[in-house]
Amino acid sequence: MGQLLRDIFSFGDRPVIERVILVVFAAIVLAFPWLVESAYARAVMIKFLLFALFALGWNLIGGYGGQVDLGQAKNVGFGAYATALMIVHLKTPFWLTVPVGMFFATLESFAVAYPMFRLRRHYFAIATLCVALVWKELFIFWDWTGGARGVELPIKPTPNFTYMEFGAIGYHYFIFGLFMAQFLFMNWFTKSKLGYQLQAVRDNEDAAASLGINVTGTKVIAYCITAALGAMGGSFMSVYYLYIDPDLVMPLDLSILIAMTVMVGGAGSIWGPMIGAAALIPLDMYLGAWLAGGGYYGIDFIIYGFIIMIIAAYEPRGIWGLIQRMSKKG
Amino acid sequence: MLLGVQSLVKEFGGLVANADISLELEHGEIVGLIGPNGAGKTTLFNCIVGYYKPTSGKVLFEGEDITGWPAHRVARMGIGRTFQSMKIMPLLTVEENVMVGAYCRTGDRQIARRDAHEILELVNLTGEAHASPTELPIASQKRIELARALATKPRLLMLDELAAGLNPLETKEIVETLHRIKEERNLTLFLTEHVMEFIMRISQRLIVMAAGRRIAEGTPDQVAKDDRVIEAYLGERYAEGR
Amino acid sequence: MELATQLVTYGILMGCVFAFVALGLSLIFGVMDIVNFAHGEFLMVGMYVAFLISSYLPLDPLVSLPFAAALGFILGIFSYRLLITHILRGPMVAQLFGTFGLMLFLRYLVMFIFGPDVRTLSHGVLVGKQISVGWVSLDASKVMAAGLCLLFFAFVFWMINRTKLGRALRATSLDAEAARYMGIDTEKMNALAWGIGGATVGIAGGLLAHFYYITPTVGMLFVLIAFATVALGGFGSVPGAFLAGIIIGLIQVLGGHYLSELKFTFIYIAYFLTVVLRPRGLFGW
Repeated sequence: MGQLLRDIFSFGDRPVIERVILVVFAAIVLAFPWLVESAYARAVMIKFLLFALFALGWNLIGGYGGQVDLGQAKNVGFGAYATALMIVHLKTPFWLTVPVGMFFATLESFAVAYPMFRLRRHYFAIATLCVALVWKELFIFWDWTGGARGVELPIKPTPNFTYMEFGAIGYHYFIFGLFMAQFLFMNWFTKSKLGYQLQAVRDNEDAAASLGINVTGTKVIAYCITAALGAMGGSFMSVYYLYIDPDLVMPLDLSILIAMTVMVGGAGSIWGPMIGAAALIPLDMYLGAWLAGGGYYGIDFIIYGFIIMIIAAYEPRGIWGLIQRMSKKG
Repeated sequence: MLLGVQSLVKEFGGLVANADISLELEHGEIVGLIGPNGAGKTTLFNCIVGYYKPTSGKVLFEGEDITGWPAHRVARMGIGRTFQSMKIMPLLTVEENVMVGAYCRTGDRQIARRDAHEILELVNLTGEAHASPTELPIASQKRIELARALATKPRLLMLDELAAGLNPLETKEIVETLHRIKEERNLTLFLTEHVMEFIMRISQRLIVMAAGRRIAEGTPDQVAKDDRVIEAYLGERYAEGR
Repeated sequence: MELATQLVTYGILMGCVFAFVALGLSLIFGVMDIVNFAHGEFLMVGMYVAFLISSYLPLDPLVSLPFAAALGFILGIFSYRLLITHILRGPMVAQLFGTFGLMLFLRYLVMFIFGPDVRTLSHGVLVGKQISVGWVSLDASKVMAAGLCLLFFAFVFWMINRTKLGRALRATSLDAEAARYMGIDTEKMNALAWGIGGATVGIAGGLLAHFYYITPTVGMLFVLIAFATVALGGFGSVPGAFLAGIIIGLIQVLGGHYLSELKFTFIYIAYFLTVVLRPRGLFGW
């Protein structure tokens, strides 16, 4: 038990500089609502934390597992809809809806994973995309999910701990709490047997099998865990935005954005997701919004696309890979 | 009998890579498998360890029929293997590479690390534990692969062209390492090789294959003088020891 | 009865277009084993070329086809030389993302220039016209699109199988290293594959503009259709791509008629079922 706690909370195996930065980061985020008054800045911070959370989850299958999954949005949608529908129709407290969303995401992922993992990388990526698109179109088509109109959540006087409705400050700490929970989980995961086996599978499937690792089984488990983690973020989205529809919580663009965030930041490292989110979200929220206000749509994605091409061509290990490369030379 | 292969046949479409191969390995032996290029040696290896499924025939290990078992089950059963083309995990350190093997037998990180370090000591890699394997010379990388396979605590270790690419000094070192680990870990070794000097020196017994069939067997001295063996190799300009 | 005939005919017509769109993708994949996610974006550019030429010049949109082809060809070659040659050095994951970045870049560049509004062609000799074939009345633009796609499909097929250049392309796709030993400039072959791929899909875009709505985001849809077609037909099989295109076209039109909100869902499902149940596709190896 003690070892487990140590594995979750200890960062002792990482260089001192990383630990310092982590502490500074946490301190800044904790103090943030008191440092900054602007409602927009607070919203940007919340979005950053949300995407950092999504990125952490995707990093498991995409970074440590090396499997390019382009359908994570479906899991976000499962979580969001589970929470929204249960709150609206069954008056269920928030914390009970989260496991339901995670459970459904895990179950669905398990069902589609085995056939998909027999595919080669490109075909696999497309297959994940197709599955996510099918689900989104189904959610638009069905009436009981609200169709294209989506689901509106009741607005309660804040703070409300049954439905997790707060003012901006409350949401900030709420999402930070969820983020830290997933971050600590990933800290444990990267040191765990599954974490090592998954990376072995990523690096060399044949060798991994020769070392007793069930390659497909490992991939499937990783895929299901990522699904569950994504669903958790989706549940947050429901109670934060108080309105969800398939285009908000399950679109292809969201899957792409999540995967991009990790790739840009540095897949397969624990810092990559945060770095990626820090690079992309403020860019989108400030530059993109400013330009869109002037009627210029899409500038942020032009820049994203360009960044991705540069990273794919010159530093596939992302910004973190670049930092590591430069620190080795220095 | 530790390993038994009975009438193994492996076909790829129309090509018969292994035709009716039978052999036996006893516990504690060092047996070499040789033969000219295209004889089907690696195919036979792959059929035994579960990388390929045999078309027909049987593979028995410690009395259990493991024919057609997937590679990870065979590994857990107790057969370890190294690969001809290096399959190191480049993004893990040396120590972590070996730990992946150790995790085959335990779920605990401390135990895995401890086991890994024991083996690293056995193959003289303790100093490089935290290095990145891609920065090390080939001879060290071979030892990493060896260590990793050893970490799964096999009773039979199958080595696929371990000496390829090594100079005579490195070959001598690896022979010593193999003897050492065999004694320490009570292993049986089954090797396939092109580097004659290496395999002649280390094997107690040799099995010779050509064109998918087993054509001879015996001690290295016997096999070297066997007419059928010389004929099988005669077609190629084959230099000893490379 | 008339409805059924009409639906089936449209399915086949669309199928010809889909087959042609898939051909370019299949060509690039065959020669280089890299998947071009921006394939649909090249098509989208072709559509906008048709739109531009017919809106700002007093010309029929059909005239835009050679321009769409040329632009597609240039885009393909540029993409290869500027991006693909670099990302090939990296891991497979990076390759996937590289073309993804190109897709985003092109899509949102067009959106930036033209805005996200949906556009259609306002005039043209075929736009909005009907012709009668037997007892069915069909959109002239779709018939023309299918006809031209069929023609160009056959042309590319002939080129690949009967010309020296085509043989060099096939050699490169079978074994690039061996092709190099035989004196084939595989770099040029790769660039050519991208150029031809871009050109074919540019033409398809120009034709589709006659009856499909033009927006910056159509690219994703068509690249997925192309994928479903290539997967169903079997990687490496040109006749397979054609037959698969027809099947996908039929699925789309028939499925779209009975459940119009899900008309593309059927294609995604078709892709998934194909790769899961019969990964080789109909004719692939």
